[in-house]
Amino acid sequence: MEDSEILAKFHAPASRNLAFNQLVRKYQQKVYWHVRKMVVDHDDADDLTQDVFVKVFQHLENFRQDAQLFTWIYRIATNECLSFLQSKRRRFFLPLNDVGAELLAKLEADPAVAGDEIELRLQRAILRLPDKQRLVFNLRYYDEMPYEQMAEVTGTSVGALKASYHHAARKIEDYVTKADNEAPATDVAD
Amino acid sequence: MKTPFRLADHPRRGLPPLSSPPAGYFEQLPTRLMAQVAAPARPPGPLAWLWPAPASLRTGLASTLLLGTFAASLWLGGAPAHQPAPTAASLDAVPRAQLVEYLTSGETHVDMLDLAELPARHLGLTQQYLQPSATELTAALDAQPAEAAGLL
Repeated sequence: MEDSEILAKFHAPASRNLAFNQLVRKYQQKVYWHVRKMVVDHDDADDLTQDVFVKVFQHLENFRQDAQLFTWIYRIATNECLSFLQSKRRRFFLPLNDVGAELLAKLEADPAVAGDEIELRLQRAILRLPDKQRLVFNLRYYDEMPYEQMAEVTGTSVGALKASYHHAARKIEDYVTKADNEAPATDVAD
Repeated sequence: MKTPFRLADHPRRGLPPLSSPPAGYFEQLPTRLMAQVAAPARPPGPLAWLWPAPASLRTGLASTLLLGTFAASLWLGGAPAHQPAPTAASLDAVPRAQLVEYLTSGETHVDMLDLAELPARHLGLTQQYLQPSATELTAALDAQPAEAAGLL
């Protein structure tokens, strides 16, 4: 179903719930995996995904349609992820790398990564990036999102996003190369 | 030295290596979300006006009501005002001669052990009657039968 149809149905009280149901079914997997890539843990991703869609329901009536619906939803999901990671860090007084270490521990415990050493090193390098830079990397590397759409999602200029992704990629390559050569691991976070 | 790692050369996956969510997760998620966003029914009765209020406000009001009830019960059922012991007041009004007659009556023998167990509020009475001079004590003891060590 087209976004315009969903929005039209949502604005009618009689069909609001049906429209929301259809919206969730259309975007739930994209939202879930966008969140899951950032927080790693399924339960955390589940909580955040629900929070995202509840906010979508609460604010969809005021959506001005000056951006694509999915871009707007992605923006909400992005903000929820970043807020979650920041509050986690603040609550436990953890510096950046400790949150990354916690995420890495969850990733290493995931059976999907077992046995693939290069992939594990790659994931370690990604998790060591600052949250926003990791977000940009995920959107570009995994979602292959155009920079223009990424700019709407993150509220950052295209030029800054390109620079951020370029630096992230270099950090990751350097880290994996060194790890592969059995050199001491360096902290790739700026 | 091994070949430097290049992202462009690494097989790109659509997702990082993360396990899938539990079976049926995406089938159930819309239902769970609908349950969250559907407006709950207002409770009937006099508190219906409170329902739209934020949960934090309702919790605060309930806590205030509970604490106020507790404080009121403490204030209303507070400790009784101190009143003089009725026995001490009534005893003060009894003439001394009458007290002595009672204490020395046939069936009432107040001995040293009984007086020793009297509580402190009766101290005034005991002090009045238990501070005789040595001569008075000797005379009183001599006048008493040996098996009944009473006091005048």
